[in-house]
Amino acid sequence: MNELGLLSNGVNPVLLIVVPLALAFAVPLIGFISKKIIKYIPVLAFLFNLIIAILLIPKVLHQPIIVKIGGFQPPFGINLYVGTVGILFSTLIALAGFLVSIYALNYIKEGPKEKYHILYLLLLTGATGVVLTGDIFNLFVFFEILCISSYALVAYFGNRAGIESSIKYLIQGSVGSSLLLIGIGLLYGQFGTLNMADIANQIQSASSPSIFVPMVLMITGLGVEAAIFPLNAWLPDAHSSAPSSISAILSGIAIEVGLYAVIRVLFTIFGASNFLMFFVFLGVLTLLIGEMSAFSQKNIKRMLAYSSIGQIGLIVFAVSLNTQYGVSAGLFQMISHTLGKGLLFLAAGYMIYRTASMDISSFEGIGKKMPYTSLAFTIGTFSLIGLPPFIGFPSKFMIIKAALAKEGILFTVLVGLVLLGTVIEGAYFFRVVQVIYFKKGNGNQERKEAPITGLIPMFIFALLIIFIGIYPNFIIKILNSAASELLNKIDYIRSVLG
Amino acid sequence: MDFLSNNIYYIGAFGLIFIGLFIILVKHNLIKVIIGISILETGVNLFLIAVGYISKGTAPIFSRPGLNAKNMVDPVPQALVLTAIVIGVAVLALALSLAIRLYKHYGTLDLRKIKEQRW
Repeated sequence: MNELGLLSNGVNPVLLIVVPLALAFAVPLIGFISKKIIKYIPVLAFLFNLIIAILLIPKVLHQPIIVKIGGFQPPFGINLYVGTVGILFSTLIALAGFLVSIYALNYIKEGPKEKYHILYLLLLTGATGVVLTGDIFNLFVFFEILCISSYALVAYFGNRAGIESSIKYLIQGSVGSSLLLIGIGLLYGQFGTLNMADIANQIQSASSPSIFVPMVLMITGLGVEAAIFPLNAWLPDAHSSAPSSISAILSGIAIEVGLYAVIRVLFTIFGASNFLMFFVFLGVLTLLIGEMSAFSQKNIKRMLAYSSIGQIGLIVFAVSLNTQYGVSAGLFQMISHTLGKGLLFLAAGYMIYRTASMDISSFEGIGKKMPYTSLAFTIGTFSLIGLPPFIGFPSKFMIIKAALAKEGILFTVLVGLVLLGTVIEGAYFFRVVQVIYFKKGNGNQERKEAPITGLIPMFIFALLIIFIGIYPNFIIKILNSAASELLNKIDYIRSVLG
Repeated sequence: MDFLSNNIYYIGAFGLIFIGLFIILVKHNLIKVIIGISILETGVNLFLIAVGYISKGTAPIFSRPGLNAKNMVDPVPQALVLTAIVIGVAVLALALSLAIRLYKHYGTLDLRKIKEQRW
């Protein structure tokens, strides 16, 4: 432990953003030397990020790190706020980025490969920047990096579906970003600062109508990327037309980061505890609509995409309970969703690749021919439904427990609706598992097992899902610390402004 | 009349924002929708500049002694707008290149005819 402490002393969290960003722009240059090594660059970048983030965890748990870029004292200049929430998310981003980039080594064979790796690095740089920044305009910039690279990656294959979904995503996303920027402008006009802690400090004495408008604009703008119910029309198209490795990142990282931004804006900047009841209802509505739409899908990737909407609803519901336990449960569910949905998209990617069809019925009998991939897929579905001993069980259990701890008949009814959503989720996931294992495939078509670079990330995802499912205490401490960081805005302000 | 002249930049900015939103919501031609996005972004940029503007203000550069900081416009929104313009250009370029590819696939830019992806 001492050695870890020594190592992490010299580590600057800025490296988490700088290294992938610099490598992204170095990719074309390295391409001059050798085209073959380009695909290993994201692997290296996110392995590095993962190590740095894990080294920083003990230090951050002790005390949040404030990085002052350019040496300006906050509220001037841009600062990074590396709290528990930030480090939790950046670890998650680095982990998913690392595993998915291993998967992409063999999966991305056609198209402009060089650009894929540049955009992939930029996407995750943007995501890391959003979760670490302490400046509201800097948040917008990183958010745009995330969004623009994901618009381009959705259209990576250049086929009809990809281009169409990408343009839809772009139109909705850029309207959302404009709304976010108007909100930022309104806040700057009132408080004359862009530092999140400084705004949070001054907002306590502001009149409520003048902060309500920027709040609505910002939440709507960020909500487009977070796919909260009325703003999620782009999601099923974009997630199902993107390459599977990108779907895993979009579903596991991009919408979670959008949701993080919504939560950060709501809790830390506006401290809006009296609007949260609205988000409780919105969360349950998002959950039910997502699960019911997923139920009626025949296309496997669309089904997974709608299931992501449902999971987002569940997270919104848990977080807006506004209790310590509820917020930690919501963050736990985010981790569970990233691991579970990442695994599902990766497994589905090779199943689609081998059968050349996204139709669920074409997976008949694939359980015998691709046993490892099918097993990974099954673990992912069981985890998302919430069966023990997988990670979905403790996270969903915590959400239900947190909701029942709130008094009143209303929350009991809402918990009933959430459980109904889970039952629907179980129904459609079990249907797929049944098709994979218990239906006889037609003929003896050759379906090769996924290559080893595909199986390793799936194996690690599955291992983490089972490990954290059995020992949830492994991360509960981090989650509790993260939840108190979100709920306690006074500490946030004090640690930045001193 | 006083209200109008005092807030003319805000009125202009929000006018552009609403025109942009209207075009995005109502028009069916993809190129027009992209133009709408561009107008919307211009409106937002104008709004940001208006936040920091002082009428008859000067650029915030202390070029010679004796300049009064009171008459200088706020430089922060200008820096923000510079960034926002660059982001807007990136979005616009990406949108137009996607429009070209879309036209190659579908032979039309009418958004009513491009709906293969539906639930």
